Amino acid sequence: MPLDTSTTYPLTKLRLDGRRWNELRLLQAQISTNPASSGSSYLAMGNTAILCSVHGPAEGRRGDATGGAAGSAGAVVEVDVSVAGFSGVDRKRRAGGSDKQSTRIASILRSAFQSHLHTHLYPHSTISVHVSVLSSDGSLLAAAVNACTLALVDAGIPMPGLLCGCTAGMSGSASTARDPDNDFLDPLLDLSLPEEQELPFLTVGTTTTVPVGEAAMLNEDEDEMKVAMLTMDSKVHCSYVETMLAVGIDGCKQIREILEGVIKKSARS
Amino acid sequence: MKSLRRDLSSNPQAANVTSKIFVRSTKSGKVQKIVRELYLRQDIPCSSKICSACPTTAPADANGNITPFVLSEHPAGTSAFPRGHYLVPDTNALLNGMDLFEHTGAFYDVIILQTVLEELKNQSLPLYNRLLALIKTDDKRFYLFFNEFRLETHVRRGPDESINDRNDRAVRTVAKWYTEHLKTTAKGKKEKTIPTIVVITDDKENLRKAKQEGVTALSLSDYVAGLEDSDRLLDMINESREAREAKGARGELFYPEYYSKSRLMTGVRAGNLHQGVFNVSPYNYLEGSINVSAFDKPLLILGRDNSNRAISGDVVVIEVLPKDQWKTPSTKLVDEEAVTKNDNPDAEDSEAVVTERERKALQEEVKKAHGTNSEGRPQPTARVVGVMERRWRQYVGHVDSGSTGAQDSSGRRQQNVFVLPMDKKVPKIRVRTRQAADLLGQRILVTIDAWDRDSRYPTGHFIRSLGELETKGAETEALLLEYDVQYKPFPKAVLDCLPSEGHDWRVPTSKENIGWKGRRDLRDLLICSIDPPGCQDIDDALHARPLPNGNFEVGVHIADVSHFVKPNNAMDLEASLRGTTVYLVDKRIDMLPHLLGTDLCSLKPYVERYAFSVLWEMTPNAEVVSADFTKSVIRSREAFSYEKAQKRIDDPSAKDELTESMRTLLRFSKILRQKRMDAGALNLASPEVRIEADNDEVGDPLADVKTKAMLETNSLVEEFMLHANITVATKIYSTFSQTAMLRRHATPPPQNFEELTNQLTKKRDMRIDVSSSRALADSLDRCVDEKNPFFNTLVRILATRCMTSAEYFCAGAHAESEFRHYGLASPIYTHFTSPIRRYADLLVHRQLASAINYEGEDGRAVVEGVMTRNRLEDICRNINYRHRNAQFAGRASIEYYVGQALKARGEKMAATSMDGGIEEEGYVMRVFENGVVVFVPRFGIEGVVRLEDFVLPTDAALRTVAERRELVMRRQSDFDNEEYTLRVSNKGQSETDGSMKVELFEKVNVNVSSVKEEGGRGAGKRRVRILILGNNA
Repeated sequence: MPLDTSTTYPLTKLRLDGRRWNELRLLQAQISTNPASSGSSYLAMGNTAILCSVHGPAEGRRGDATGGAAGSAGAVVEVDVSVAGFSGVDRKRRAGGSDKQSTRIASILRSAFQSHLHTHLYPHSTISVHVSVLSSDGSLLAAAVNACTLALVDAGIPMPGLLCGCTAGMSGSASTARDPDNDFLDPLLDLSLPEEQELPFLTVGTTTTVPVGEAAMLNEDEDEMKVAMLTMDSKVHCSYVETMLAVGIDGCKQIREILEGVIKKSARS
Repeated sequence: MKSLRRDLSSNPQAANVTSKIFVRSTKSGKVQKIVRELYLRQDIPCSSKICSACPTTAPADANGNITPFVLSEHPAGTSAFPRGHYLVPDTNALLNGMDLFEHTGAFYDVIILQTVLEELKNQSLPLYNRLLALIKTDDKRFYLFFNEFRLETHVRRGPDESINDRNDRAVRTVAKWYTEHLKTTAKGKKEKTIPTIVVITDDKENLRKAKQEGVTALSLSDYVAGLEDSDRLLDMINESREAREAKGARGELFYPEYYSKSRLMTGVRAGNLHQGVFNVSPYNYLEGSINVSAFDKPLLILGRDNSNRAISGDVVVIEVLPKDQWKTPSTKLVDEEAVTKNDNPDAEDSEAVVTERERKALQEEVKKAHGTNSEGRPQPTARVVGVMERRWRQYVGHVDSGSTGAQDSSGRRQQNVFVLPMDKKVPKIRVRTRQAADLLGQRILVTIDAWDRDSRYPTGHFIRSLGELETKGAETEALLLEYDVQYKPFPKAVLDCLPSEGHDWRVPTSKENIGWKGRRDLRDLLICSIDPPGCQDIDDALHARPLPNGNFEVGVHIADVSHFVKPNNAMDLEASLRGTTVYLVDKRIDMLPHLLGTDLCSLKPYVERYAFSVLWEMTPNAEVVSADFTKSVIRSREAFSYEKAQKRIDDPSAKDELTESMRTLLRFSKILRQKRMDAGALNLASPEVRIEADNDEVGDPLADVKTKAMLETNSLVEEFMLHANITVATKIYSTFSQTAMLRRHATPPPQNFEELTNQLTKKRDMRIDVSSSRALADSLDRCVDEKNPFFNTLVRILATRCMTSAEYFCAGAHAESEFRHYGLASPIYTHFTSPIRRYADLLVHRQLASAINYEGEDGRAVVEGVMTRNRLEDICRNINYRHRNAQFAGRASIEYYVGQALKARGEKMAATSMDGGIEEEGYVMRVFENGVVVFVPRFGIEGVVRLEDFVLPTDAALRTVAERRELVMRRQSDFDNEEYTLRVSNKGQSETDGSMKVELFEKVNVNVSSVKEEGGRGAGKRRVRILILGNNA
């Protein structure tokens, strides 16, 4: 039986993979990995690895019975998530390709990007995003958000800013009210799979507006961050949510810098 | 297409990321390969106060605090390490010597490695938990060093390296690193002051390699040998491993091998094998029973061979034996001390698992197996084929003086001795010790390390001595340890949770104060409390007053403990662990610190206190019109004892309002009681006596032993408490359908009563009807013997034993129909009325507060009581266990006190007359082939009377124990299993002449005394001896 975070973290202030509470896992990304698609990306956060490719915006919508009326206000975002059978610890044969988890991730991604992208520029068209999970080791949704953002940027689809996702948890069950005198629980950033299974966590996605026009001239240091997405499946006492959220948003900020670096680098080459 | 391989060259951090790959197999047999990332770093501090470098790099947690450094600047040393040392134990050192590491005399400044902690967790979860507790205590200075994450100490497993070798290498690497690190960073740079890093390992290969690499390493015993007081400490090392190695060559195996784990699992799943908890009969140590889910009745496990090294309480897997080996339960009393008294702890070679004498004892049972009546029908038997979980704990016992050998006083030679545990169900334990002579006559604590196939008895090691046998301190501590009562003083973290005002805490005067929020002011009510005399922790108080509409308002006010004990702080966790207050004759082990229990929470008279009140409106016929719950502030007018309250009620001249309200309460309580009885509540009896400990030296010590008297006022309080509990249970269940904390008493299965029904039918031609609790209550009422007024109580005691015990549970765990409390005949029940002494009540308080939307001081609704079901079920399990143990401990304490009182009396009498002992009435509870069990109501004790303890008409009246023992050879008995009679006579004498016949339920005259065993078996042990003088008195 391996050690568990909630026991050893208070003693050593180290997580089970040797990180501190506020450290991200090693994040690596590339874009334009698949020349056959409009835009594509590969992103690895620790041992979570994701391939993402974007097709479109393309006219019409496959199998749309309304005859294209559905997308009259703007492009429709379709997201399709497939989790590879070898991605987890147990090799699973997946019949039909989609299970509860991947459907859920797909629907969150869809609603997040549908409202995030400037879809009104492409009426009567479809943007389809395909996410392949090659290896999953926690923070799957957050990694998928980041991979999609990169692929969409690669595809040249306009968006107000990068949408970055990150997870944040607490280093204990956090099921009762926080005691200000005896506050021994630390928040944790970017959870790995064993941590996700043990601890409560949330996934947050933030975006910033790239300053344009006058705002760009002012050159403000403080970026305006907006929480664009927030999900939590675990139970946690409400007094901890604020801390977790703050840590998560801070993580998103770090991730955004990394993603910006990836984009700039690929633009240069 | 670009390559997707990780490109690590560009990222400077990436060099420090490595991965750990391991393979594990799951329960279902699948093999999983697991890959984990490891982030190596250099900011993991060494935590030594000498170090000047680490404090600057030590990282902070989310609040910016840096963990204080642990390891002392001037650690203790031994003669071999005059500069002091830091210890680095490896896993097997901890496995073998956890008791040593917990010892307060040595083993300070210990570095526990992550590698070791993880390995320990894999090998033994209990030891892992004990180690964690050690790391958490500050004064032992244990530091948990995450060596796998520090760049310098991370070790990669070599291609041909076994995992053990790799872990050993990791330990040595850490030792080397620490030595170097301290040398370079030590403050002052004085070579002489730097402590040595000592690796402690019992692995010979590891020791050798360490020597090669220049790392100081010692085996555990070598290290301990260098300490002061080494003899005592050496005994605490787990011996089993070494012994196994030494004996392996001899290859004598006494017990059958256990089945393999997979065979057990498949067998259990297929239904061929069964899993259950092994229980040993208190009357016969060779007979065990096991309840498995597949059968209604327990299966018998007879003999050492079949019980195959299982110890009472272990979770075992059994296999049913073929029908020709089925037997009846034993009708004989078999006492381990008597049968195996001649075993020699050293003479392993000549041992057979079943000694001749044991075999004889078993054979006689087989003969009985073919009886004809339903009682004697052979029952299915089984044998143990595997152990799923050992429930070994630490056992209190004493050294068997017969086993120490002749040369006991000659020096410090290590020898094997037997330790006889206090718990008769546990076999004697072989312990190797160097201090046998010192331990004789002491109460000692030992633990079992192993029970191998080649050893007849389990082997264990000595932990510590509690003091001399029969001294009050030692016996009390023994009791507490035996029943796993947490008796250590409250730690500082708990005391820190108390209100800072201490005893000066008052209910705030201003109603604006936040403490008043949501509280009703009930200070004007005439509230009083009624408790046993001298009661300090007053949980409950009552009032009643007429309402203008002719109805009455009745209120039960319970101490508002949940106001002071906030969820999940240290005090709450401690209380949930303790579960209950334990009452011994002369001592009370509190669940909550003294300040709360006896002052701030206690509803003392004349002062204002916070309370949680249940208010009913009742018609004059005690019909409940409405019920209301509220947090409140009350001022009790008087704290009565039961007797005083009774006197006041009975006093016709008392006409004041308070007395009147008590009379109202009494009247209502009688109606409520009648209603309950009509519903079928049982009036059960327990053989309890009360000890009034305020004994003066001169009087008869036995005068303190009193049977419990029941006054009307007792039942007054009881009725209202029951009523409050039921009302609250309904309320919290309606709000928390899944997580309400309730208490149930399952309907006992009818087969439990089979034997009692049989006995009653045979002996008295009475029937008990167990179809419902009402039927049982009525039939118990009919079990009356005119000549024998105690008979009814006796039957009730026996009936109580046939029932299951009540238990706490959380509502989601059972279907609503299973909530019934059988004994109280209530469809739903909980405990609400004693939060000072029971944790369950405290939880119920929180749930009720939440159910009535009470908003606490911080303005938030109290939702903490509404925990997850998992957590609640854990708590239920613990408090059920604690509750049961507390009862056992209380009873054992009374038993001990009675024994001591008898002893004191015996000594007093010895000065004046010949023999101690007091003549009393007793009742035969069970009849065996070679003795009977007699219950003596005067002292609430039951004891075994063997053949030699029957005083036959032809005998001289009383003899010493030794003389009596000789009698055993001459005695013969004639046992009738179907009529439950036993005729005892001397051999060679005719049946009628000079014999004595006793039968079940019979009243007998007994002589009770306390005797000390001398010579032979169990020397030095005191027991209560009961002699049967005659019957038909």
